[in-house]
Amino acid sequence: MKTMRFLLLGAAVVMLAATQTLGAATATSNVSVSATVAATAKLSLSSSTVSFANADPDTTPSIAATEGAITITAKGKTATGSTISLTVLAAADLTSGSDTIPISNVTWTASGTGFAAGTMSKSAAQTVGSWTTSGSRAGTQTYALANSWNYPTGSYTATATYTLTAP
Amino acid sequence: MAVHAVSKTRFVLPVLLMAVSGLLLATPSALYAQSVTLSLSQNSFSFASADPDSTPTITGSPAITVTYSVSGTKSGGGWTMTLLAGGNLIAGTATIPISNMTWTATPKPVFQDGMMSNSLAQTLASGLGNKSNSTGMVTFSLANSWSYNVGTYTASIIFTITAY
Repeated sequence: MKTMRFLLLGAAVVMLAATQTLGAATATSNVSVSATVAATAKLSLSSSTVSFANADPDTTPSIAATEGAITITAKGKTATGSTISLTVLAAADLTSGSDTIPISNVTWTASGTGFAAGTMSKSAAQTVGSWTTSGSRAGTQTYALANSWNYPTGSYTATATYTLTAP
Repeated sequence: MAVHAVSKTRFVLPVLLMAVSGLLLATPSALYAQSVTLSLSQNSFSFASADPDSTPTITGSPAITVTYSVSGTKSGGGWTMTLLAGGNLIAGTATIPISNMTWTATPKPVFQDGMMSNSLAQTLASGLGNKSNSTGMVTFSLANSWSYNVGTYTASIIFTITAY
């Protein structure tokens, strides 16, 4: 009789276990996903012109740009560990007919993370900003022209090119 | 003799009751043997590179058609389909949080939209009763950002259907 008792108990336990095993049915399927992020650079300036008004060198030794601060937005996607750089390069000196003002008399101050102050050059691109990771950055650049009694009268012009590089 | 008979009844009755209760518990599963199937139209999809300003959200391509069947559900029983990512999107040491990936799915209300997770399975669809070769379409999207580093990112997603 003891043997019978254990057999019946065992059967009950097996049935309970079977109930749990059969309680849920599951199926799975996998899918792989890929996302490509390509190197991209995008630059915008709030103004495409900078002008300096005539002024008395004694009272205004440094002429601020009429436009005030230029807002620069530099956006770039780069590889991990690479540096995004923003430079500016003048094509030539300020020129009015045969008269010139050295472009190095134009300087700027800057605000914003990664932006830097500098002096304009026509021979080597000057750094306006640099960043070590991908991202969107905004800053300002305020130009000034060193005034001088030596400048011949005239309306001087020059062009400068900004280059944003995201390697 | 009378004492012997009483003792026998006291011993056999509980054992029989236990056996019968075991049979009763086992019977529903035997009668309602649940079965589910799940298949996907694609085993991969991708997001193309895009300008975050003009394309703040990148649509994955192609969309995935899910075909599923559920049978043997108990009275009042149902099923759920979930998505779980194996990890974040990874390209070398660079990562994009998998939570930046979302999906839209149809038909509703069986299917629902959601956001990917690599820690907790997210419900893609759910319902009651049996289904035979039913379908749904899932389109994944990735929030675009200038902060993403250059690379080809990969991740895996597990679709799971469970009947209960």
